Amino acid sequence: MSAKAQINPEKARWLEVLGISMPLCLSYIPIGVACGILLHAAGFNFIMTLIVSIVVFSGGAQFILASLLTINAPLSSIFMTLFFLELRYALLGSSLSKYIKNESQHFIWLFAVSMNDENYAVNYLKFATDKKWHPKDGLLVEHYSLLFWSVSNMVGGLIGSAVSINLEVVDFALTALFIYMIVMQLRSHLALLICLLSAVLAVIFMVLTGSIIGVVIATLIASFVGFLIENTVREHAKVPKNNWFLAKLFRPRATRITIEDQKAEEKEEQEEQEEQASKAEEAAASHDEPRQHN
Amino acid sequence: MDLLSNLQLMISDTFASNKILYHVVVIIFAAFAAFIPRYFPIRFLSSRKIPEWFNEWMKYVPVSLFTALVVKNIFITTKGYHFVPFGHPDQIVAALIVMVIAYFTRSMAISVVGGLVSVWLLSMVI
Repeated sequence: MSAKAQINPEKARWLEVLGISMPLCLSYIPIGVACGILLHAAGFNFIMTLIVSIVVFSGGAQFILASLLTINAPLSSIFMTLFFLELRYALLGSSLSKYIKNESQHFIWLFAVSMNDENYAVNYLKFATDKKWHPKDGLLVEHYSLLFWSVSNMVGGLIGSAVSINLEVVDFALTALFIYMIVMQLRSHLALLICLLSAVLAVIFMVLTGSIIGVVIATLIASFVGFLIENTVREHAKVPKNNWFLAKLFRPRATRITIEDQKAEEKEEQEEQEEQASKAEEAAASHDEPRQHN
Repeated sequence: MDLLSNLQLMISDTFASNKILYHVVVIIFAAFAAFIPRYFPIRFLSSRKIPEWFNEWMKYVPVSLFTALVVKNIFITTKGYHFVPFGHPDQIVAALIVMVIAYFTRSMAISVVGGLVSVWLLSMVI
């Protein structure tokens, strides 16, 4: 706490948000440099690499773009591959839209173009757990990550073939980031079940379709099944939160509490207080009655 | 028809001789491919009232999507999309380590760095 106060004594918001997005930004550096090196190998000069990292802003898409360019794929198949790869952002955007719907059209445009998997992950977590998290903070996270991403891409493009890297090791940074996000999201038995279902469906549909579109199909089906189960449980169970599906998974004490949890707890407390109040009233009434008889 | 194929030939000739122009065209196409799925759903949904069931559905999107992406990174080949259960044993072990780290520390930075270090060490062993 004191270290934080020393770095940021005036509690400037941009510095606080920078602190929150730092893990993400730092993990972008090795991947961004690697991506720049790949694009350089595919024939892009560093200015092209910089531009493509700003307008596409997606690690996966840029890696695939580099490999498509090296095999001289036709423009149409480059477009289709990238389009299907980016289709998952439609889902990400849909799930964030409820948090930013009071913003201006210009803001929404800015927010949409600089959204990607990783800063979405950070933003979704903050929107869900931090009441004070403003859409502008979210946009700031996106812009910090965009800055780190594009600069490291350009650096990769500049150092080009001078460096050799183990791509698989670098690529694992993103996998680790996603695993972290999954672990943070697993709050109920149902979430764990949906996670496993999604894994199985992802394998099936990716092998069946032979493309990245399998990820989108698996996500749509798995999340819909989650919604159906939760809905059924809420309708039929007497006490939904005590049902096995919605019961909380065991977690360490350092766990984060989401806004929804807080609201639920507040509601419970209120109900308890009301119950106690009504009991007290009853008790008072029953005390009163004998007196009246006397 | 003849004119059209001639035109196509001309275009590909120009591209062959001018690499930078070709790259600019590729970037424009890539930019559209990145922009359309990002912008239009969020624009459509943020300008009108979203039904409750849609929000409930979207609640399970992150966990499903991240799982699918992790599965893709670890178990699916990048070329041809074949299922390889034990193609990256080092990554499978490292993924388990990341899960444990994330579960107990709840820190993104430690999880990512721990994952990178363990996959780097494991890739030399396995």
